Amino acid sequence: MGAEVLSVKNLTKRFPGVLALHDLTFSLRKGEVHALCGENGAGKSTLIKCISGIWPHGSYEGEIKIGESEAKFLGIEDSEKAGIAVIYQELALVGEMTVAENIFLGKEPKKGFLVDWHTMYAECRKLLDQYELDLNPNALLKDLGIGQQQLVEIVKALAKNSTVLLLDEPTAALTDKEVEKLLKIINQLRSKGISCLYISHRLDEVMEISDRITVLRDGESIKTELTSKMTESDVIRNMVGREIQQLFPERNSKPEEVLLSVNDLSVDLQNENNFALENICFDLHKGEVLGIGGLMGAGRSELLMHLFCSQGKRVSGEFKFKAKSLLGNTAGESIENGLIMVTEDRKKLGLILDESIAFNLSLSHLKAFIKNGLVDRHSEMLENRKYFEALSVKAPGLQSTVGGLSGGNQQKVVLGKALMTSPEVIFLDEPTRGIDIGAKAEIYELVDDLTKEGKAVILVSSELPELLGMSDRILMLSAGKQAEIIDKQDATEENLLRAAMKYS
Amino acid sequence: MSKEFSIRDFALVISLAVVWIFFYCMDPHFIGSRNLTNLAIEFSMASILALGMLLIILSGEIDLSVGSGVGLAGGITCVLITQESSVAAPFAMIIAALVVIVLWFAMGKLITSQRVPSFIITLGGMLVFRGAFEKTIQNDTIAVTKGGEENLLSILTTHYFPGWQSLLIFALVAALLYVSMLKKRQREKEFGFEVEEFEKSYLKVFVVIQSLLLMTLVMNQNKGVPLSFLILGITALFIHTLTKHTAFGRHLYAIGGNKEAAEISGINVKKTVTMAFVILGGIVAITGFLQVAYQGSSTNTIGEYMELDAIAACVIGGVSLSGGRGSVGGVLIGSLLMASLLNGMTLLAMGSADKFIARGAVLVLAVWMDVYLNKGRK
Repeated sequence: MGAEVLSVKNLTKRFPGVLALHDLTFSLRKGEVHALCGENGAGKSTLIKCISGIWPHGSYEGEIKIGESEAKFLGIEDSEKAGIAVIYQELALVGEMTVAENIFLGKEPKKGFLVDWHTMYAECRKLLDQYELDLNPNALLKDLGIGQQQLVEIVKALAKNSTVLLLDEPTAALTDKEVEKLLKIINQLRSKGISCLYISHRLDEVMEISDRITVLRDGESIKTELTSKMTESDVIRNMVGREIQQLFPERNSKPEEVLLSVNDLSVDLQNENNFALENICFDLHKGEVLGIGGLMGAGRSELLMHLFCSQGKRVSGEFKFKAKSLLGNTAGESIENGLIMVTEDRKKLGLILDESIAFNLSLSHLKAFIKNGLVDRHSEMLENRKYFEALSVKAPGLQSTVGGLSGGNQQKVVLGKALMTSPEVIFLDEPTRGIDIGAKAEIYELVDDLTKEGKAVILVSSELPELLGMSDRILMLSAGKQAEIIDKQDATEENLLRAAMKYS
Repeated sequence: MSKEFSIRDFALVISLAVVWIFFYCMDPHFIGSRNLTNLAIEFSMASILALGMLLIILSGEIDLSVGSGVGLAGGITCVLITQESSVAAPFAMIIAALVVIVLWFAMGKLITSQRVPSFIITLGGMLVFRGAFEKTIQNDTIAVTKGGEENLLSILTTHYFPGWQSLLIFALVAALLYVSMLKKRQREKEFGFEVEEFEKSYLKVFVVIQSLLLMTLVMNQNKGVPLSFLILGITALFIHTLTKHTAFGRHLYAIGGNKEAAEISGINVKKTVTMAFVILGGIVAITGFLQVAYQGSSTNTIGEYMELDAIAACVIGGVSLSGGRGSVGGVLIGSLLMASLLNGMTLLAMGSADKFIARGAVLVLAVWMDVYLNKGRK
């Protein structure tokens, strides 16, 4: 193995009330893929922020070395100069620009004062070919899928001649095929001597791609080991500090009365590529979890958004909730009726990031706390505290800003906000995306408890094990059409996938 | 939160002190009872409008038409009072207020339902209302009273509360401030929030109460506390309660912070924003009445540039133009700074050219200072 290109010694980082990293020691060798595993709030993101200079030198204790010399980065520009590139969960790209423009943003090849467009596109072509990426340099970024955008982000980092890549959950939004492509690229990079620090909640990927694994827990490094000497369950045990016996709770639900029914629903989604939902038909019973699966762009989220807040234009069909036919309902009306939705994109659609946990938790349910026209802060805070504690959100307090929480804790706040409205039917759109295994198990447990109370859940998920583990029935969508509804006992990964590809 | 605010407010208070000391050195009459009374009235007019603007900016919108609306409201009232078949002042004011509120409701509807940016709709409103105003008063100067008889409109800025009444009002306000400080601390403790030291909270309230007492005493040497100052107090209390203690106010913050998330959370964004415009309409009318009462008549220039002063006061007071951040306290200090500046320059008989330049410079300087202080904190 190669020399250490990056080493972290006795790193400690404090936030008011929280010890985010505690005496952490860690190293990255040349040409190594080093995976970092840990639950939400274990300190993974904080470590990346320290290394990349977002938390400047002096704001932490301990030492970070690049090669032989100590790094004293004061900002992200400094770390970029030293050859470190960070690829975030949230993309930092410009939608209105082309792929090539994005890749060369800030370092456009020039002829005198003018941008040398010819060279830029040629260089871009070369880079894309080198990594066998099927992308058009002239395509506008906003027209690409999120997976392709992720690849652009990586190429952008490579174009800067970076030698160390820090990848923070790069596959959270990718389809399996895209993940495969990404892993292939990482393999190529490894053979070129580029080192990668790889953070992912998908352990199968971690096992496949990494050379070494470091497990973090509560800001401390629990274990660093060669991947070949570890199994998935070793990693999980080290992450949570206990054995997770069973990820999915044992479910036994009996079909009860119908709560919600969708009859021959067709929806014009009014987007550019004439995509539509066609002839969707299903019932949802009390106490049931209905899974909805399908490939990216099969129309899963669109279906939920149409039912919840009337996105798109109804062409035909009927949507009945508790025997009441709904059409053109707003989110507010749906919530009053006992329907709630937890959206896929929690930052964009779920939370007011600049506001506190308390503000967000009670946002959908303020009406319940009104006394004499004013919000009664006392009863509001009691209720907030109840959900804050029940969901065990990890934060200093209710007044902490939501934007500063880790992904899993943000998701808990979104869930708490939804549950506070005491819904009868809950739409969950990718509720476990980008969150760790411990929090996942908690959310599955929660879903199971909810259905035991007689609530019904629609669960949209890209992860087949999750669909199989949680759903009583699974509706598969394929290119906007209903492919099949499969009962739990008949469902296997193979027939789900076959259904997903039926019309594509 | 509270910590962040004290840094910002502290910087603003220092700037305010600098402005006051400067004008005092240039002309000691600046803190004389006569001038302070005038300043109190001007401050009232400026900040009432800025407080209305706060609602709109919180929701992430903007309103450029308030200045023209102020002119129009005053113009309609004056014309109704002074015309041949005269209308009693209270009725004239109600009619004018209704007209303005309907106009603002219509703008709110256009902005929310038709999805035309508020910048464009209110820029149009600014021009249209200015034209309508000039047509209403026909480029004339129209007095606020018929035959010099005092009426409800004219007393708005000419009525003062004599000595003992002023002190009574002061005592009530002081008690209110003190009790609400205690209640807030008790509540925060109950919720397990971080509570600042009692001395600090006490000192803040003490300083505010002392300055209010000083102002009351100084103004009592002249004619007493002006009625318009009380109107400001009521408006500030109203807007504060609205923004911090009602669902409507929370929704404004949520919409300004993340409009899409607010909508999915079940907030009726259209209704909330339209409502904010309706309330601003009412405030525009009140400011219109105060303006004509202060000038004694309605003329072409009334309300000119008031929209910019209102926006500037908000921004100086720490209101984020992209929405979701801002408070009544900040806006009050921001407009006091702007009003002091204008008043002082008028006292020094500076020309309007210099006034424009100074106001612009202060606006830019204040925002730059805010950005600078914020950077140090992050």
